[in-house]
Amino acid sequence: MNEILLVEDNPDDVELTLRAFKKSRVMNEVVVAHDGVEALDYLFATGSYAYRDPNQLPQIVLLDLKLPRIDGLHVLERLRAHPKTRLLPVVILTSSTEQRDLASGYRLGANSYVRKPVDFQEFVEAVRQLGLYWLLLNQRPPVID
Amino acid sequence: MTPERRRRRLRRRHALGAAGLVLVGAVGWFAYADPAYVPALIVVALAVLAGTHLLFAREISRREVVERALHDANRELESFSYSVSHDLRAPLRSIDGFSEALLEDAGPALTPETRSHLERIINAARRMSLLIDDLLALSRVSRAEMKREQVDISDLAAHIVADLRRADPDRGVVVEIAPDLRAVGDGQLIRLALQNLIENAWKFTSRKPRSVIAVGRARDEDGAGAFFVRDDGAGFDPEYTDKLFGPFQRLHAASEFPGTGIGLATVQRIVHRHGGHVWAEGQLQQGACFYFTLGDL
Repeated sequence: MNEILLVEDNPDDVELTLRAFKKSRVMNEVVVAHDGVEALDYLFATGSYAYRDPNQLPQIVLLDLKLPRIDGLHVLERLRAHPKTRLLPVVILTSSTEQRDLASGYRLGANSYVRKPVDFQEFVEAVRQLGLYWLLLNQRPPVID
Repeated sequence: MTPERRRRRLRRRHALGAAGLVLVGAVGWFAYADPAYVPALIVVALAVLAGTHLLFAREISRREVVERALHDANRELESFSYSVSHDLRAPLRSIDGFSEALLEDAGPALTPETRSHLERIINAARRMSLLIDDLLALSRVSRAEMKREQVDISDLAAHIVADLRRADPDRGVVVEIAPDLRAVGDGQLIRLALQNLIENAWKFTSRKPRSVIAVGRARDEDGAGAFFVRDDGAGFDPEYTDKLFGPFQRLHAASEFPGTGIGLATVQRIVHRHGGHVWAEGQLQQGACFYFTLGDL
């Protein structure tokens, strides 16, 4: 069972997302990257994650848009530009429903775009459905060497 | 300076320019008739031409300054809304989420009073989130690019009512929509305006077992074509008519009829963007009627 990569800089949101995963009985390990640089280092096994096997990819990336250093859309752009991560499922999980975020997110190849609701119960439900779909129902793309 | 004064001044300058051209024509004619006048007349004509040119150039540069300021203001509004959209919701998520967590984890140990306080915190956070959403929707109305297309208002109204009936199938509401209500404008914006008006009518008739909502055609005081959405619900005190369309203005207690007070402000902004106007008639407990025109966009 591969891990979930949660790219999120707000510690409150991290805690709430982890709680929501626990409540919806998602058992996958959750790795947290706190900004875009950390996320890219993790996925490409560089920098502080140089020890990782770059062929090991998470089951799903949950990507916030507003992030320190490299923002979410740039992370997505970099992932789509690289053959290894081109098909990696990425779900944008963010506060905004601004048209331009939606448009850029999909244009850059996001697989899905989910708004984080303020209502925590709705948030738990959203995370439960995300888990059900992306971790159980959806078949992963083949690994490209 | 008011736009009216600016227009008047611009007209004066156009007249001046025209006078310059007439003078040049006259110079040509005089020169043809008597070559002795030529040097003096050429000097006069050049002076008039240079003067009008300078005046025009000054007007144009003034306009550029105003336009640039407008452009900057729009961009600032855009980035303001963007950061509201991203940043203002995050703290609310924390307030709501951790209050919920407290309720769940400490549930049995809490006194009823403590529980009620936590629930109030949660409700306040959700309400603020609704306010933010509505404010953003309102500012989106101002920022959106306008399209110009044929809009079938009868059809839009029917769809909106069908959605309301689906969500609330037990309501005894008769809805009368006049056929062939058509307009030219931005379909999405007009839909949003109608949605606000019809949802209001639906909401403010909710205390009555039976009610009637009508969507139809009317005329404004100048005889121009207008549309209306009328209900026989809670109505409003006509003394406060001028407050109806202000953002966050509410004429009913939230406990009586929920809402953020942004709906009619949104309607007004949409109607204004179409060059139309919106007005209302009503009496307490005797229903309300909202009229709007869409101008000739």
